[in-house]
Formats: sequence, C-alpha cells, structure tokens
Amino acid sequence: MTTTPRTATTAVAGRPGTGRPAAQPATRTARRRGHEALSGYLFVAPAVVLFAVMGLYTVGYGLVLSFAQWNGFAPNWDWVGLQNYKDLLWANPEYAPEVRDAALHTLWVMIAVPLLTVAVSFPLAVLLNSARRMQPLLRSIYFVPYVTSGIAVFFAWQYILQPDGAINVLLKSVGLGSLSQPQGWLGNPHTALPTMIAVTVWGAVPVGMLMYLTGLQSVDRSVLEAAQLDGAGWWRTNASVVWPLVRPITSIVVLLNLRDSLQGFQTFLVMTNGGPGNHTNVLGLEAYRLAFLKQLAPTLGLASALGWLLFAAALVLALINLRVLRSRT
Amino acid sequence: MTTTSPGPAGALGEAGPHRRTPADRDAALRARRITARVVVGVLLAAYALVSAYPFLWMVSAAFKNQVEVVRGGHLIPHQPTLHTLTHTWSQLHFLRYFVNSVEVTAMTVVLTLAVYAAAGYAFAVLDFPGRKALQRLFVALLFVPGVTVMLPIVLVEDKLHLLGTHIGLVLPFVNGGAPLSILLMTGAFTAVPRELRESARVDGANEFHIFTRIYLPLTRPALITVALLTAIPTWNEYLLSRVSLNSPNTFTLPLGLQTLASENVPHYNELMAGALIVVVPVLLLFVALQRYFVNGLVGAVKG
Repeated sequence: MTTTPRTATTAVAGRPGTGRPAAQPATRTARRRGHEALSGYLFVAPAVVLFAVMGLYTVGYGLVLSFAQWNGFAPNWDWVGLQNYKDLLWANPEYAPEVRDAALHTLWVMIAVPLLTVAVSFPLAVLLNSARRMQPLLRSIYFVPYVTSGIAVFFAWQYILQPDGAINVLLKSVGLGSLSQPQGWLGNPHTALPTMIAVTVWGAVPVGMLMYLTGLQSVDRSVLEAAQLDGAGWWRTNASVVWPLVRPITSIVVLLNLRDSLQGFQTFLVMTNGGPGNHTNVLGLEAYRLAFLKQLAPTLGLASALGWLLFAAALVLALINLRVLRSRT
Repeated sequence: MTTTSPGPAGALGEAGPHRRTPADRDAALRARRITARVVVGVLLAAYALVSAYPFLWMVSAAFKNQVEVVRGGHLIPHQPTLHTLTHTWSQLHFLRYFVNSVEVTAMTVVLTLAVYAAAGYAFAVLDFPGRKALQRLFVALLFVPGVTVMLPIVLVEDKLHLLGTHIGLVLPFVNGGAPLSILLMTGAFTAVPRELRESARVDGANEFHIFTRIYLPLTRPALITVALLTAIPTWNEYLLSRVSLNSPNTFTLPLGLQTLASENVPHYNELMAGALIVVVPVLLLFVALQRYFVNGLVGAVKG
C-alpha cells in the first residue's frame, strides 16, 4: 500500500449522529473539511502520479513527436511541423496510398464488427435469459472467448482456418465442400478480411451478450405483461418493447466496438500481419509498423501522427455516440 | 443472479399457467411451449459450440503427435499423447515464461488494487476540491488508444531505464486499467452505507483505518472483479511485451508462444500445446471466481 494518510479525524468528530456539516460550529466544519480534502488528495496521489508519468507525459511526448522526423537513433529530431500529417493523408506517395487502403479496410471492420456483434449478442442474451437452469454454465462457456482472448487463441484460429484445417474439413463433411478454401481462409485475398471480421466478432460477443443480459434482467416485468395483454407475441414483444428499452446498452456496445475496430490490431498482427498482400492491413497495424518495424527509416513521427489521427477519430465517434444516446433518451 | 426475474422470455409461454382452458387447447399450448424450449436449447447449444470451437481444437492438437496433427481430421486424437505437452513445457523454456507471466500479472494486480481502491475511496467517500474534474479525467483515459501511447511509452521508458524490465510492463498496464478499476471501485464504495463511516469516526478511527477495516472487507466482490479484469488481459498481453522485452529470460508466456509460431513451418501440435499452457491458468482462475466476476461486471454496467 502506497498511501498511509495519518490525518486523524478524531479531533473533528462531532456528536454522534450529527452526520454531515451544517449542524456543527463553523470552525469545526472548516477544519473537518480541510482534513477530508487532505485525505482525499493523499488517497488519489498514487493514481495521479502514475497517470502523470505514464499518461500525460507519454501522451504529450507522442504529440510533440508527431511534429518531428526521427528514426529513434539519431541524436536530434528534425522538426517538420504538420508535414507528417500531410504525408499520411495525401502528400507522400510511399505511405499515403498504403494508409488509404488501410483506412478502407478499417472502415469495413468498423461497419461490420459493431453491427454483427449487436446482431449476435442481443438475440443470444434474449435466448439465454429464458434458459433459467442452464444459464450459469452457458454464460461461462460464452465467456471463454473473452477469457482466452489473446495470442494463444488467435493461433488456434489460425490453425483451424488453414487449408487442411478444421473449418474446411467441417464444410466438406456437411456437403458444403464448394465453400472450403484451398489456400486457407486467411490465404485468399477475398476471404481474409471477412474472416478476420468474424474472428473479431467472436471475441466481442461475450461482453456485448453480458451487457444485454444485464439490461434484460432490469427490464420491468409489468411492461412485458402489458405488451402481452395487448396481444404481442414473443417476436413482437422483443422487437417492439425490449429492443427499444435496451437502446442505451446498444449504444455502449456499438461505441466500444467502434473504438476497438478503429484502433485494435493485435488479432491482425498475429493472424495475418496484414496479408495476403496488404489485404488485411488496418490503420492500427500500419501505425505499429511505422513505429516498430521500419528500423532506421525516420518514421517514428509518422507513426505518432497516425496514432493521433486515430485518437481524434475515436473522440469524434464518442461525441457523436453521446449525442445520439442523449437525443434518444 | 440466481434470483433473476423471469425476463422477457417468459413470453414464450404466451398465456399464464393458471388460466383454465379446454383440455385440447391446453395440450396444444404445452406442445408449443416444449417446441419453443427445444428450439431455444438447440440455438444456445449451437453458440456454445461456436464459442468453444477454437479452444476444442487447441486441446485436441495438444494431445496429438506430429504425424497425426499434420494429417488433420478428427477432433478426438487416435493416439492421445502427453509427450507434446511435456516436450513443450520442458524443452522450450515454458517454465521460465510461466514464472515471468505470474510475476508480471501478480505485480500488476496488486498495484492496481492498491492504487485504485484508494483512488476509488477518495472519489466515492471523501469530499475535496477538484474531485469531479479528476474523476472525469480518469474516465476520459478510456479513449486514449493503445497504439497512440505505445511508441511514447517505449521511448519514455528507455529514458527511465525501465525498458526490458518487468516493472516497465507493469506500470503502463496498471495505468491502462485506471478507468475501469476506478469506475468499479467508486461504484462499490458508494454503495457502502455512510453511517458506518460516521460511527467509526466517532469511535476514533482515522481515514486509513476506516478504509482498510470497513470499506475494503465490505467490497470484496468488487475487489475480486477488478483483480480478474486486470489479471486476464495482463496474462494475455502481447503487444507491449513484444516491443519492450528483448531478452528471452524476461519473456512472458505469449512471447514464448510467439517463438514457437515464428519457425518456418510451425509444428501445430507444439504450438497448440503452448497455447493450452497459456490459456489454462487464466481459464481456471475465471472458473474459480466467475461468480464474483459476472456479478461485479453487472454491477458496473448498471452503475
């Protein structure tokens, strides 16, 4: 424990049951407040110090770096102002087209992943909510993708998606052999990105499902009964009553997945590394490559600038989402 | 969660069970209800299979020998062998990686709990100028993208001589967990009745005692949730470790696993055995604590 505030509050303890200030003499109240404020600062101090170094300082450093050209080894930075941003967006013939392709792929991911995640997790939560007895067990199994998410399970996906992997074998065994991919699902430029989207959705469903489940369990029972009295069936109740009621949750699920789709790239790095032929390159991966894989090329400033563009995009999305959420509730 | 209200799917039954209707209508209704149940059951089971599918093949391959894994085919190994697992564990330094992973994860969890339980206490219970602003700042951190800070973190840590050390991983991990941990802890502490604090004060307890002896014991489920929510991603973390650790002696399990995959032709049975070694501890932890975990998360979503 890093905080041991020794601010004894005994001196200001009022009569029993007095509770909050007001009732006490003014000076005592002030002293008590002073002590409380001091304790407050001491309790948040470790978090603030850590944030100052690991958060503010590093983020500020990154922002400054985004206006410079540097390879990480040279003693000095070359100041280039906004040139890095221009290079990324249109000016540099080596990077701009690559960034544009990556942006297009990222856009696809950002459209497909939130949509599909909602489309899978809401019905799943509705169904799971009706399975009273098996619910704890199923909920745990549905959470396996979250718990195991990371490099280990991405390798497992790679393994079952390869040319003679389990997915192709499964398709052939159920008579859908024409759908199987002889180069593997990640080897074919046409299936690689959709496959990566599917894997991402698979990993995003657990949290979405759990959030919807929570929402469903706090829906007022009488509202549903009223709907049924009005003659609404199961479909109708869920579509016209429950779905609008959980809209704030949908908004959160969409926002979280938009953000992750915009910036996440670990799955892509591990499973395809952008391939085949850059067909699954996304913006996060592009930033990572510029930052860590260009060796002596002076691309660190470019990487930083791309990171900041992603940050700005995420903020805009968050604001839009907030607007939408507010106007609906 | 066991006392949940029936929820919308109670609608499956249409009319309530108490209504008196002619016998044939009753039977038809029951048949419909059973059909609905079966359909729901099949759908739920199908998604359970989808959820566990890669994991099942991971287990399968880890118990196959090299010849069988190349032939592919069946989920159940024809000649199950422990050799792949033992070989991967002993020949490939997995014990070293395992110890490193435990060290990094334990340090991150302990620091996270210490730092953000204290901060959560301050935000929930204590009144001080700037409290709201500070709280908002920490929640806003949620939007700072990993890829934006990764490069500066590496450069700054290089300056501080933390690069390549486990502490150099732990500090950014702890900081990265700030928004969620603070959110959860603040929520849990707010739910503790204020009267407890007031009466402890009267008995002469100071702020630190109130925090450690009253608030922390009462919020154990939240602490466990925060611990799990920190431990799972830390255990699986790969990116920052990959760019900051350079000596195999300091590698964590995901990096050790990466060395298996980067061979020209990966031996999938060994790769999957390694993956299983990475996954099983965190899976066991989750199963042991999932009761707290789900309830804690649910509390966070509601809050």
